[in-house]
Amino acid sequence: MMDVALPAVAVFLLLNLVAGMLRVYRGPTLADRMLAALLFSTTTVAILLLMAEWMAMPALRHVALLFVMLASILSLAFVGLPRDADEEDT
Amino acid sequence: MSVEEGIALLFLLAGCAFYLAGTIGLLRFPDVFCRLHALTKADNVGLGLVCVGLALLSGQARVASMLLLIWLVGLLAATVSAHLIARHAYERDAPPEHEGPS
Amino acid sequence: MMALLLDGLIVLALVSLAVQAISGRSLFRGIIHFVVFGLTMALAWARIGAPDLAMAEAAIGAGLTGALMMVAYRRLVAQGDNHSPRAPAQKSRLAIPIAVGSGLLVGVIGLGALLADNPPGEAGLIVLETLPEYGLGNAITGVLLLFRGLDTLLEIAVLLTALLAARALAGTGDSSATARTQHPETPLVGALLAVVIPLTILVAVHLLRAGTHETGGAFQAGAVLAAAGVLLVLSGRVSRTDTAGPLVRLGILAGLSAFILIGLMPLLYGEALLTLPGMWSIYLIETAMMVSIAAALILLFADAGGLKRDRRG
Repeated sequence: MMDVALPAVAVFLLLNLVAGMLRVYRGPTLADRMLAALLFSTTTVAILLLMAEWMAMPALRHVALLFVMLASILSLAFVGLPRDADEEDT
Repeated sequence: MSVEEGIALLFLLAGCAFYLAGTIGLLRFPDVFCRLHALTKADNVGLGLVCVGLALLSGQARVASMLLLIWLVGLLAATVSAHLIARHAYERDAPPEHEGPS
Repeated sequence: MMALLLDGLIVLALVSLAVQAISGRSLFRGIIHFVVFGLTMALAWARIGAPDLAMAEAAIGAGLTGALMMVAYRRLVAQGDNHSPRAPAQKSRLAIPIAVGSGLLVGVIGLGALLADNPPGEAGLIVLETLPEYGLGNAITGVLLLFRGLDTLLEIAVLLTALLAARALAGTGDSSATARTQHPETPLVGALLAVVIPLTILVAVHLLRAGTHETGGAFQAGAVLAAAGVLLVLSGRVSRTDTAGPLVRLGILAGLSAFILIGLMPLLYGEALLTLPGMWSIYLIETAMMVSIAAALILLFADAGGLKRDRRG
């Protein structure tokens, strides 16, 4: 039962991620695109945790921990952008 | 399917619902602050519920504490990221439409 | 069935993200696509059963390259319009033939790999038989240090050379070009660092220790430490200098010198070069390599010759 349910949940989350990519296209601001990246990073963590249980591979939990630990680096680098850096694109 | 598995599955499904809500909010809400609001709540609770479900499923204290740690660090990182991005957006284009008490 | 669906979805996402990352009209969108590509790549490594690579992808992809591109983007924006990041790209007439040719080549090689009988990897079997003699449980660490010691030694040397080359190319004393985030001062950043930095060091040491018997090793640990350093540089807690202090120099050179010294020792007893004399030497080399990898990556990221603490930050 769980052998089907766990990957099914992972597939659902991955589809969510793909749908969210639309926000990266639309923008309109750089901050919107960063938000999408933020959501994807949590989604990836959840999928990794599901895989760790499903594939009986505990090392993947360490990978997930690394992702959550380092998720804020990108945001910190992002806020250094000059505020008028928007929009080279629309 | 045992009772534990059933309960764990319920938690996983609830987590999925929150992720879905987060994605819908990201796509449908009008401005960056609304989207931020939808997204941070949704994915933090979503991750939390998925962690609870998986902890029940594994049934090991070691795994459960690892999942708890991941969730707590995830909360912290998401909070700081959301704050930084919101501030960046706020300083960029003055107050948003729905101004709070000043 | 579900597994197949998941794998197919990952592959599709990878291909489309890769295309988007390099073909988008907007550089910033390209960066976001690249970051998400990294996340998806980690999922792919996990599905292939290679948690080592997923871990390296997490540390390098989430911790270093995304921030590196963001900082590069910032500099492009700061340089203004005369150096527009969207200068029209020169299109070569050879581009499409080369792309098609490369694609065909990959296809042929992939098909060949699929069709060929998989020979029983004898080298791999020998490695797995030998490892327990050394008390090593992780085949990757074993191969890197026991069987391909020279390669690993040279990899550390390559990293050092890259650092020297970057320093030779870099300008000096241009303080406007620091990687530091200009206005990060909110109490939250301090709180984040207070939790994440100790945790990062803990995880790096764990990966290093675990590297002898499970997933981990000096490269992953070094990349994780480097990510902590990048966090400190971005938040202005550590700033760049043009020349390295003694501690930074020691850090950069530790890996290579420890490896060379221990690698030479067997010659004294008349054994072969780089025959490692026991577990203690493996731990010592791995630790020194971790420090060197982290130091080199941080310096490369910060475009710095050295680092100093910055209390004003």
